[in-house]
This record gives sequence, C-alpha cells and structure tokens, in this order.
Amino acid sequence: MRVVIAEDAVVLREGLTRLLADRGHEVCAAVGDADALLAVVREHVPDVVVADIRMPPSHTDEGLRSAEAIRRDFPSVGVLVFSQYIETRYTSRLLESGAGGVGYLLKDRVGNVGEFVAALERVASGGTALDPEVVARLLRRPDPGLAALTPRERDVLGLMAEGRSNAGIAAKLVLSEGAVEKHIAGIFGKLGLESSAGDNRRVLAVLRYLGAPGAAGE
Amino acid sequence: MENIRRVAATVLRAPFTRRTRREVCYCAAGAVTGLVGFVLVMVILVPALFISASVLGTVAGLLMVVAVLALARRLGALHRLLLRRGTGERITAPAPFEPGAGVLGRLDRRLRDRDAWRAVGHALLKLPVAILEGWAVAAVGFGLVDITYPLDWVLFRNHPAGTRLSPMIAAAPVPRGHLAIGTLPGTLLAVAIGVACVLAGVWLARGIVAVDKRLARALLGPSRVSELERTRAIAVEDAVVALRRVERDLHDGAQVRLAAVAMNIGMAQEKAGDAELRELLDAAQSGVGEALADLRRIARGIHPPVLDNGLADALDSLAASSPIPATVRADVARRPSPAIETIAYFCVAELLANAIKHSSANLIEIDIDTERPDVLRLRVSDDGRGGADPSRGTGLDGLRQRVSTVDGALHVSSPPGGPTRVTVELPARMTGRGT
Repeated sequence: MRVVIAEDAVVLREGLTRLLADRGHEVCAAVGDADALLAVVREHVPDVVVADIRMPPSHTDEGLRSAEAIRRDFPSVGVLVFSQYIETRYTSRLLESGAGGVGYLLKDRVGNVGEFVAALERVASGGTALDPEVVARLLRRPDPGLAALTPRERDVLGLMAEGRSNAGIAAKLVLSEGAVEKHIAGIFGKLGLESSAGDNRRVLAVLRYLGAPGAAGE
Repeated sequence: MENIRRVAATVLRAPFTRRTRREVCYCAAGAVTGLVGFVLVMVILVPALFISASVLGTVAGLLMVVAVLALARRLGALHRLLLRRGTGERITAPAPFEPGAGVLGRLDRRLRDRDAWRAVGHALLKLPVAILEGWAVAAVGFGLVDITYPLDWVLFRNHPAGTRLSPMIAAAPVPRGHLAIGTLPGTLLAVAIGVACVLAGVWLARGIVAVDKRLARALLGPSRVSELERTRAIAVEDAVVALRRVERDLHDGAQVRLAAVAMNIGMAQEKAGDAELRELLDAAQSGVGEALADLRRIARGIHPPVLDNGLADALDSLAASSPIPATVRADVARRPSPAIETIAYFCVAELLANAIKHSSANLIEIDIDTERPDVLRLRVSDDGRGGADPSRGTGLDGLRQRVSTVDGALHVSSPPGGPTRVTVELPARMTGRGT
C-alpha cells in the first residue's frame, strides 16, 4: 500500500510511519496539517490516507473536511479518519461522502497493529472500516428486528457494520466461514434485508437498517 | 497665631496656583455644557412625556425618549472628557450600548439601558451645579475687572480738575452688587471688592468642582448592577474557554501520548515471542485502552468537540446516541456565543437523559430556534407519561439554576399522562465584552 499520513502530533506521526514501514507499506508523505495533506495527495495519489480529524489551523474538523474533499476529487484514494473521539455526526458525514473507501477509527485502535493495518487495507481497497464504538452506538437502538437476533447474530451484525469481510468475521469470532454465512443469512432474514453481493453493498444495507444517517443514499 | 497665618496664606495664595486656574477654566466649560445639556434634555423629555399621555403620541413619545437616552449617553461622554481634561478626574465609561436585534429588540434595550437613564439623571441634577460654576466664573471675572480700577483711573481719568465725569461702576455678581466710584481713593475700595470677589469665586470653584466630580462619579461611571452583569458575563465565558482548553489539552496531549504508547505496546506484542512477556504486554495494552476510554469520557463531559461545528451538529450527535428515537430540528440563523452554546448543549443533554430515564416515551423531539433574534429557545418534548415536577428536587431544578446564571428561563409543562415539554430560553449572546 502507498500511504499518506496527516497527523499533527509528532509521536503518532512518526510511530505510524514506522509501524507501516515495518509491515512493508510505503509511506509517501507524513504531514501535520490539512493544507499540506491536500498538496501531497495531489502529488502522490496514494492508495489510502490516514488523517487526524483535528489538525491545525483551527483544530476542529479539518481531517474530516479534507476527507470529503479527497473522496470527491480522488475517488481512488481511500481515507481513514483517525480521531480521539467518536461523533455520530462525523460518521454520517463520512458515509455521505461516498460508498466505501472510508473509515473512521479511534486512535486507540493502533494498539492492535494487525487489526489496524487490516482496516487500513480494507479502506484502501474501497471497503469500509467503522470503529466498534460507532457500531455499538448504532446497535443500542431499540428495534424489534434487532431484539429478535441471537447474541451470536448480534456479534456478527456488529462486525459486518464495522465493514469486515466474512473471512474477517470468521477469524474474529473463531468460526468457520460457512458458519458465518449461515448467521448472516439468518440475520438478513430476521431483519427483512435482501442479501446483496459485494461486501460494501452489504455494509451499507446493514448501516441503513441501523439508521446510520448518511448511509441512506448510495 | 501661626495657624491663622498659614490659613490666611493659603487662602490668599490660592488664586495664583495652577490648580485654581484649571478649576476656574473647568467651571466655565462645565457651566456651559451643563446648561446646554439640561436644556436639550428637557426640551425633548418634557414634550415626550406630554405626548405619551395620548394614545397616538405614544410611538412619537417613545422615540423621543429613546433620543433623550442616546443623547444623555453622549452628554455623559462629553462630561467625562471635560472632567478628565479639566481636573484630571478619570471616570470609567460604562459599557457601550449594545443594540438588540429587530426594531422591538432595539427599543427594549434602549429603554432598559440603565447607564443611559443615569446619564439623564446626571444631565438634570447638573443644573444647579452648572449655575454655581457659572457664578464662580463670573465672580472671578468681575473681581479681576474691579482690581484694575486704580490703573484705569490713572491712565484714562487724569482730566483737569472740575471736569464732570460719570462714575465708574465697581460690580460684584450679587444682588445690588454695584458701587459708583467718582474719586481716585474710591478706586481702592473697588480693588477691595475685586479681591473679595476673586477669592470667593476661586474657593467656590474649588468646592463646586468637588461636587461636580462626585455627581459624575455617582452617575456617569458604570453602575454596580451593569458592572456585575458585565463581569459575570466575562466570568461565564472565561470558564467556557478554560474548559475548552482543558478538553483540548486532554485530547491533543495526554490522549495522543497514550495512543502512541498503545501503538508501541502493539508493536512490541507483535514481536514478543515469550509467552510470559506477551501476557504482560496484553495487560499493559488493556490498561492503556481503559485509560484512553476514561479520558475520552471525561473530555466529553467537559466539552464535546463536535460543538465546535455548531449546536445543530452537536445535538444531532446527541440524538443519534439516544436509545429512544430522537429527532432534532434546528433553525439557528446566527451562532450564539460559545458560552451560550455550551449551556444549551448541556441543557439538552440533561433533558434528553431525563426523558430517557423517566418518560417511557416512544419519541423525543428536540427543537432549537432563534425566532426572536436575541433569544435562543430550545425545547425537548416527549410523548411519555408526564408528571415531571421541577419543585420536587429533580434535575430540572438544578437545570433551572444553571440557566439562571445567564438570565435564562426554564418552563416545564408535564401534566400526568403526558406529554412533557420543557422549554429553555437563553440570551443568544451575553452582554459582556461587546460580543
């Protein structure tokens, strides 16, 4: 993967660069603010961008706005927004900016290097990566369909909403892929969703069902 | 004896000091502005009061009152300037007038402009002071003229003996205060009158300037109440700014460092072959994760970052995490000041939490608007069982107190059986630093 990093905290910027380099990925550029980010994306057109949500100059939501701009101008570039906190409103803005190729993770998640890199790879290849915290909030919704699910099915649904593939879900829950597929069929039946081909369409269908604002329009 | 001499010396030397000259000059200026100010205020104010008595004249009368209030503020500024230039007395100006939005808002603010009303009071009370100031100047002026009489006599009246001349008139600014003088020795009496007038004028000037200063200090400085309002607004906004800084420091300082630690532990976990070491690293990793979650929760309680994008976004986020479906309708034309946004946010958060906990509602509606441009109104309604009573020591009471720190109001309508509707009205911006 060719990666661009935008993060204003030097410790994290350098740490991420090293972590990705260790794993054999190429870090084209690592910058500290939103303007520089857009410039290096234009220059390198990487596979994926990791962008801190809050960067100079105004320290509000530069990362998110850059993500929207990058998704609009460079549809081939995935953007993983990397944040100290989760805001549902930000999730929906990201999802509005296009189906797939986006991610929203808490900075905490770099602790699990394997999962973090896997999420980044997913975003780079046009998939979705939503933080478990976002999904947990969505699943808190009172809903008769959700209430009908078994605990195992809820786990599978959550992992689907995070954007994981069947294989990813299977690995995470220590199940066979066949078992995961059976659970998914059960879930789609109970929720009245049409099973659709393609991981990303499936993620969107699930998010739409969960009422994530912004997932409505593909 | 010694004392008497010292007092006499002070009294007699007074006319020659710089301070006296300044005071007399100030009296001249103060008398003119005081009289003009009084006349201007009365010329508008008296007809305004008469006109207002009739129904039709009310509008015109109100406009004239507004004109008087605006004028009085200007006059106050002029008086403060004169006092500073003339006597060195510095009086802090009250906070500048802040017009409200809309015609009615403007009118309302004008009529409730405490500092302007006090300036009107000053313009009226200044009249006797101005008269005495004028009198002091007149006394000094007449006296100085009288003192010159012997010189005038010698220069202009050395006619041959037997020439009949009209007498010179020595005058003092008192009733019947004139004296016809027809001889050279008589002019010495005029000198005596002149000296007396100058001394009286000078000392009167000193006394009346002191009164003038007190009057101005009492009525043209910031009033206690508006001063308290202003400092309270500053305190509230400073508190919000300080809390935001704390939140930023937590998010961008401690949290980022911990995330970096988590990353390093993560990389170490990947490389560790030893089972015991892995176990230790796992424990460290989960500890860091919990610390990060704690920090996030604390920072969120201090200041939700999404509030930087405005209330609408922040309330959307809030509603999205509600277990009872909640809708947000926001119609805010102009962003309120940060302190008001923060208070509004935490009000809605608390009302939402209340509704979730107690109402058993199926739907919660959150509305915010600035229909009246000066007022941020927010309403949280639910279709639940009602019966919320702010007087029974619930969270509503605390909320009412918090709202009252910015002169806001909270209304609860919650009949048994529902629905519950809580409305909070906040000033869209605080009267403080002129923001």
